[in-house]
Amino acid sequence: MKNNSAANRTSMAAKNPVDGAAPGLSQDASVNVAGMPATAQLSGSPVSLQAQPAAQVVTQIIPAGVGGSTAPQSTLSSPAAPKLTLAEVRARLQGKSGKRFWKSLDELAETPAFQELMQEEFPRQASANEWVDPLSRRGFLKVMGASLALAGLAGCTKQPDELIFPYVKQPEDLVLGKPMYFATAHPFPTGAVPVLVKSDAFRPIKVDGNPEHPISKGRSDAFTQATLLGLYDPDRSQSPRYRGEVAEFSRFQQEFAGSVAATGNGQGVVLLSETITSPTLADQWKRVQARYPQMRLVQYEPVNQDAARAASKAAFGDYYDTQYRLQDADIVVALDADFLGGIGFPGFLPLSAAWAERRRFQKDKTMNRMYAVETMPTVTGFKADHRLALKPSDIDAFAAALAVGVGANPSGAGAGLSPEAQRFLSVLLADIRRSGGRFAVLAGPNSSPACHAAALAVNAAQGAVGKTVVYTQTVAPLPSEQSADLKALVADMNAGKVQWLVMLGVNPLYNAPADLNFQDALNRVSHTVHLGMHLDETGYYCDWHINQAHYLESWTDARAYDGTVSIVQPMIEPLYGGKSSHDILQTLLDPGVSAYEAVRAYARTYLNVPAGKTAGQAGEAEASQARAAAAAAATAAAQPGVSQQARNAAQEAKVALGLAAQDTPFEMAWRKALHDGWVADTAFSPKTLGAPKAVPIAPKAASTDAAIEISFRPDPSLYDGRYGNNGWLQELPKQVTSLSWDNAALMNLDMMTRLGIEENEAIQLSVGGRSIITPVLMSPGHPDDAVTVHLGLGRRAECGRVGAGVGFNAYLLRTVDQPLYASGLSVERSKGMYDLCVTKVHNIEHRGRYAQRDLERTELDTEGTYSLAGHEALERSIIRYATYEEALKNPDYAHLGTKDSDLTLVDKVGYNPQGEAVPHDESFWPDNWRYDHIEVVGLNAKVLQNKWAMAVDLNSCVGCNACIMSCYAENNIAVVGREQVKIGRIMQWIRIDTYFEGDLHAPAAYFQPMYCQQCESAGCEQVCPVGATIHTPEGLNMMVYNRCVGTRYCSNNCPYKVRRFNFLLYSDYDTESLKFMRNPDVTVRSRGIMEKCNYCVQRIEAVKIEADKNNRAIRDGEILTACQQACPTDALVFGNLNDPTSKVVQRKATERDYQVLADLNYRPRTTYTAGVINPNPELA
Amino acid sequence: MAQVFDRSSNALARASLVLSGLIVIVLGVTLNSLQRSPWVTRQGQRPDQPVPFSHFHHVQGLGLQCQYCHTSVEKSMYAGIPPTKTCMNCHSQIWTDAQLLEPVRQSWATGASIHWIRVHDLPDFVYFNHEIHVNKGIGCASCHGRVDEMPLMYEQNSLQMEWCLNCHRDPAKNLRPTAEIYNMAWQEPSSQRPVWCTTTNVVGPTAQQVACVTTDPAAAGLQLTSLRNAQNGLIQSNPLGLDRSQTVSAVAPSMIPANYVKFTSQEELGLYLTKQYHIRTANELSSCETCHR
Repeated sequence: MKNNSAANRTSMAAKNPVDGAAPGLSQDASVNVAGMPATAQLSGSPVSLQAQPAAQVVTQIIPAGVGGSTAPQSTLSSPAAPKLTLAEVRARLQGKSGKRFWKSLDELAETPAFQELMQEEFPRQASANEWVDPLSRRGFLKVMGASLALAGLAGCTKQPDELIFPYVKQPEDLVLGKPMYFATAHPFPTGAVPVLVKSDAFRPIKVDGNPEHPISKGRSDAFTQATLLGLYDPDRSQSPRYRGEVAEFSRFQQEFAGSVAATGNGQGVVLLSETITSPTLADQWKRVQARYPQMRLVQYEPVNQDAARAASKAAFGDYYDTQYRLQDADIVVALDADFLGGIGFPGFLPLSAAWAERRRFQKDKTMNRMYAVETMPTVTGFKADHRLALKPSDIDAFAAALAVGVGANPSGAGAGLSPEAQRFLSVLLADIRRSGGRFAVLAGPNSSPACHAAALAVNAAQGAVGKTVVYTQTVAPLPSEQSADLKALVADMNAGKVQWLVMLGVNPLYNAPADLNFQDALNRVSHTVHLGMHLDETGYYCDWHINQAHYLESWTDARAYDGTVSIVQPMIEPLYGGKSSHDILQTLLDPGVSAYEAVRAYARTYLNVPAGKTAGQAGEAEASQARAAAAAAATAAAQPGVSQQARNAAQEAKVALGLAAQDTPFEMAWRKALHDGWVADTAFSPKTLGAPKAVPIAPKAASTDAAIEISFRPDPSLYDGRYGNNGWLQELPKQVTSLSWDNAALMNLDMMTRLGIEENEAIQLSVGGRSIITPVLMSPGHPDDAVTVHLGLGRRAECGRVGAGVGFNAYLLRTVDQPLYASGLSVERSKGMYDLCVTKVHNIEHRGRYAQRDLERTELDTEGTYSLAGHEALERSIIRYATYEEALKNPDYAHLGTKDSDLTLVDKVGYNPQGEAVPHDESFWPDNWRYDHIEVVGLNAKVLQNKWAMAVDLNSCVGCNACIMSCYAENNIAVVGREQVKIGRIMQWIRIDTYFEGDLHAPAAYFQPMYCQQCESAGCEQVCPVGATIHTPEGLNMMVYNRCVGTRYCSNNCPYKVRRFNFLLYSDYDTESLKFMRNPDVTVRSRGIMEKCNYCVQRIEAVKIEADKNNRAIRDGEILTACQQACPTDALVFGNLNDPTSKVVQRKATERDYQVLADLNYRPRTTYTAGVINPNPELA
Repeated sequence: MAQVFDRSSNALARASLVLSGLIVIVLGVTLNSLQRSPWVTRQGQRPDQPVPFSHFHHVQGLGLQCQYCHTSVEKSMYAGIPPTKTCMNCHSQIWTDAQLLEPVRQSWATGASIHWIRVHDLPDFVYFNHEIHVNKGIGCASCHGRVDEMPLMYEQNSLQMEWCLNCHRDPAKNLRPTAEIYNMAWQEPSSQRPVWCTTTNVVGPTAQQVACVTTDPAAAGLQLTSLRNAQNGLIQSNPLGLDRSQTVSAVAPSMIPANYVKFTSQEELGLYLTKQYHIRTANELSSCETCHR
């Protein structure tokens, strides 16, 4: 059986049989049909189920209305709307020449409901009667008359008086109006992300990667970007509480320290902490343990690295981390390892950057090749050249067979592998052997222990260790196997052995494995303490709740992926006086020592203090002296009745003392570390561990063959639920599925058809006697007999105003022994429908089967007046790609089939569905803007003026969503909420379009970031009646918010569907804490205003002013748009088209560069670099 | 059926037509003049400030330089309102028990800000930037008026968009040498008061491009020239001059008076400075994104 996706991919970008220009490229129509097997062929596929698409389940599909736009109105929300059968989908996908891309099942089905949805510019706005009362015409006119009069007057209203509150003493280095940047790090259980925080008058307003750090190099990810909103979350816990009443932290300190001291040895006291990432905290714990030897520390996070730990322990006898060097890997194998998905995978930033670098297509550069074996379709799987979808137990079998294949695993010979998987395996093995050690097998936090064992074995056996794979000590200072520890802890709690349970940043009442009954166990503990940012499910239930400080408010330290230490420094005084784990542990040591002092003291162990002075002692003495002085000053200042003058004097004394101590070697090193954001030479050196012990990987039990399995994954947007109350992340369409504000049981259409369920239908999932009710979402490429659910949703009311009640809680099915997947799932239909919130059907300009109807019947339209050519995604070449060999043979592949000689019937009337740019001189629009103005800079240097543009490398874009998050923070984008997203009003300026190609069962997918293309002859500008969207002399399409009257004509006329309209007052004008967060350089938009991407014009203007002031031209790379800055793979490049040396010009100069919908002659400034894939011909 | 309307109704109807036309016109004219009136723009109004601070006294009387208080005018979009500390620098020594200064002392003692009422208040969607204006030859007085003659601060100009555009469409009429930015009494050149300018050929900030004097450099004599020669060496030691902190006031008119050009009208001087300061074109300056984003 052929791998469908692979077969499909080899058919070239050339869509047109007429095209004979490229040898080897004419294998279009025929090959494609052959490569796309009919359903009958598919039935032979072991992966594609025993049960054939059951035609009896869904018997018909209503033909879309022949009358064009008059689809029935009532079918929209009707649950009885007929759905598409698998057979029909497949029928629709085959028999067409060229590449066929699609975004969603509905689009393929072209159901009447979908057709109707597409009628409206913003889906369903007409039927949204959320606030328009039925008014008679006369009443309407009356109201309108009044508002017209008011509208005229509104321009004349006086501005209210505005007050100025100047500083009493302005900090010396503060220049109001100019941002400052401070380095720190975002501690995350998989390794810290070093960041540079933009601070406006000491309010953090943007979190970006630290450009000087070897790990991040300025890049970041969605979670890190979103932590900014976490800081200003209005629902954060604002005070310590004892049994619900506001209490003092000092009282807790007394009670806790007293009780622990009374035990003598700490018997019965347990700390249940989130994964400890701070070396200082680990040291504090060691000192606590030395004082109270019977005290215990248990670390637990629901998404942890237990599998990797267990595998490492089994293979090497101790815990080690694996670091991959993908820049040297020709072959990358991801065993259920979503390393392109986000920082949930350790080392996401360096791994994705290195992967993308090896993925860039250059003539004399070997491109890497990636194989992915996974259950849930992830971005990593779809970026892979070959993706094998297997249910979880089959992945274990595959891993075992892989280890056997390299001779590293003596037992079990690939039992239970399907022929397809077998073939995949043998090709993969051959490729690995050929690579001569230049390969890497990756396993990650969601990979099973079998995958980890196989990865260790294969990497060692084939010589990758030392080349692309190295082992180091663990990034987490206190590695442990968390699930087992928690299980033991619960047993102790149940046995009454625990008197004090101090929970540090964890939320076990929400996310502990269901079979542990953590709630019951907690009831047996007499003193419970919770440290958390929110008064969450656990905090609400505990005796003591201590409000935790955000990492942007606290002192700590952490290690990045490579082991480099970063000192985490506060950006702002804790908004609510929060505490950190350091403070809790320090309560047992010396409550007088702050987190700052603790971190500073421990920093002596890793800072490179130059020899000369006996650094340790001198520093120690100096530190204690400073501490004493500071304490004295603080006591003096705290005295009631002391005047501000005295306080000022005290502070000055303190500063003077600090300055005096400034030039000690330690102080210099400390300051350098804070300034740089990292401590040089603290990266781990690789360990030489020898061959891993061969661990027999248990072959798959035969009994699991037929059983349905459920796979638990952290949510791509919300991780384990910790970001539940983060509106940005809740609203973010999830990778691949584009689900927003929801989670769903993901399964493939085969399985849905067999079970007789449809998308959005409620089903009951039961495993091990526990069950939950979930909606269903079809996931193209999901393996059969498996269901994926995402953890992290279904939070209770304690979560906060954003996250409460969103989605379902999949933790309720998860057990401590089977945290990754469980077998024996039963799926039953439940009652009702649940309208899932999927954003991918928005923003499609969809003509579906109406496209070209008039063109095909040319007697109706010989001029091509009525219809634009081509089905939106299917036929207009929005995505273009070729294989590596094809690209080498014909570098111009992105433009094949688009020349005059290739024109087909429809082109004869003037349209070109392949989407090629219209020759410029044919343009109806003259060059209004010439961009040839000469600027004089420097002494008398003449340069061409600026002309901004962007280029997007589709090979590098991995669909990780970091750009969307960065855009949120930079441009003050509003969160609209589920109901509004549902009706197509999401405000994100960037969307990542996922285009699927080929069969539903094994599709390929392509990600395309889409945002305002800054067209040269832009449709929006021509239709705006008030000149609110205008062309600037540097070629941007600007939105002038204060001019916009909200006609929405511009959006209607935008073929890219990238404009966003504030239907309601989405921006939060009232919540105090959110006001601190906003970018002061960007207007907060009100109701009735259109908005869209403007290439971060505020950044352009800021750099322009700086350059103008200094009398020089803007340097290439000096302006980074927010999306470009965040992009972990450098997929986006922004720059000046008039500067021939700029990166963007170089990108655009490649032959693979193309415009989307170029035939419309909007002449977009943003262009895309067509992808190149590198499939193995043997698997084709 | 009897006629409902009397014959006189015709006249009434005509009159009402005319009248409603008039009402519309009057309303339009009224609204137009209303929204340009000081009632809306606050032009010329002196709000009740907590302290009746006199720029007249401090600037003209005592000779304080603008930047003593408005520290960030050259390096940030925001000119800066002085912290209480700046007031206390002097007023901890002089006028220490003046009743008028009670709010200042109160602020210093309690640590609470003085609540000034903003006089120059632009709408929130306008992103005005001080630094680029003062670095490109727009003097304080061009927008704020003769602040040194204002016992109480008020808005000299309407600060409405048409006022901004008047200059952005033709900046030449307001340009002055950057050395004269803080000169409240600067007057545009005339045949009685000519201005002599020369290019410095210094690579660096725009503000260093031109040196201007108001006395005839030919008559200034040898002494001045040699003094400038000495300074010249200093400047040359930083040939790139890319130091960001180097702005208007850091610049001395330091070059040799190679060939001074004499200007006797603002028009000529404006055109000359437009070229030397690389002022952007009217098209660029009046593009929306310059001020709105």
